[in-house]
Amino acid sequence: MWDGPTRIFHWGLVVLLLVSWLTAGENMQVHRWSGYGVIGLLVFRLWWGVAGGSTARFASFLKGPKATLAYARTLGSREPSGTPGHNPLGAWSVMAMLAALLVQVGLGLFASDIDGLESGPLSHLVDFDASRVAAELHETTFRIVQGLVVLHLVAIGYYWLWKRQNLIGAMITGKRKLSAEVLRPATIIRLLIGVVLAVAVAWFIAKGGRL
Amino acid sequence: MSERHAKTSRVAIALVLALTATGALAASAAETAIATRQAGYKKIGAAFKAINEELKKSSPDMKLIAANSAIVSAQSQQIPNWFPKGSGPEAGFKTKAKPAIWAEPAKFAAAGSALQTEAGKLQAFAAAGNLAAVKTQVRAVGGTCKSCHEAYRAED
Repeated sequence: MWDGPTRIFHWGLVVLLLVSWLTAGENMQVHRWSGYGVIGLLVFRLWWGVAGGSTARFASFLKGPKATLAYARTLGSREPSGTPGHNPLGAWSVMAMLAALLVQVGLGLFASDIDGLESGPLSHLVDFDASRVAAELHETTFRIVQGLVVLHLVAIGYYWLWKRQNLIGAMITGKRKLSAEVLRPATIIRLLIGVVLAVAVAWFIAKGGRL
Repeated sequence: MSERHAKTSRVAIALVLALTATGALAASAAETAIATRQAGYKKIGAAFKAINEELKKSSPDMKLIAANSAIVSAQSQQIPNWFPKGSGPEAGFKTKAKPAIWAEPAKFAAAGSALQTEAGKLQAFAAAGNLAAVKTQVRAVGGTCKSCHEAYRAED
């Protein structure tokens, strides 16, 4: 159900979010590196959302309010969700997490600590006051990211207990029981383009936007 | 109203006016002190940020680093004047200054002069064009910011 790159993106993000969380204010060099990794993953995921395997594409899983509401009404049923890939509700959760993380990582690039010692790679583009505002918002948006992750985990727990659906296994192996194999994988060339794009953007930002 | 009553109420009014006036004066003095130190620390932060960003470049401009070190050094000389008694959180204005500043003045003064000393060294290394020493010294300067903030500045 999930192609390899999507799964690597997912678990890579899990690891880097934990690293970022634990190193914030403690080890800012590792925190920056972790942030560059998150940028790379996000760039890759955006590319994969238009060029990746069928279940990773935004166009395949984003549904309008009508379909989302219709799906929401079936939530109480113990019947497992039959959607291959993200269901319409989960799709919005994915988009919310991606958007929140883009804002999160974007603010971090311009942030500076109160001492003026540690700063994001693009902080030289803004003054000290602005970089402090970015740092404070960076902390606020992290609460939003945390909230969305908790919602994500609660949903997974709900599907596990109520619908007897193992979503974690599907994200590890890429397969799901009782699901017709509907994934149409993307070509290796597209994967390579995505990786090059991700590394290039992360590298450019890490270098402070100086070529 | 009798003569005596009128006199008493005049005295009372005068007292109220006087108290209000000194209260207002004290309050505005605290407010000014807070604004002054915040502006000063922002100058230090901005100068130190400029130094650290310069050091991220492949060939940092030592003159720029020396000039900004001078700002840090000059501003840090002012720290002893920035915390008059009564300008702490008890004044009722927004400030992150902790009461410990006034409770342990000797330790606080030492923390401030540590910054003066380290910033002075940084300025000297930059003036001498010693990049390696500058890079180590900024950590020492940053360390004095950090340890003083941890002890005397409330968490964000």
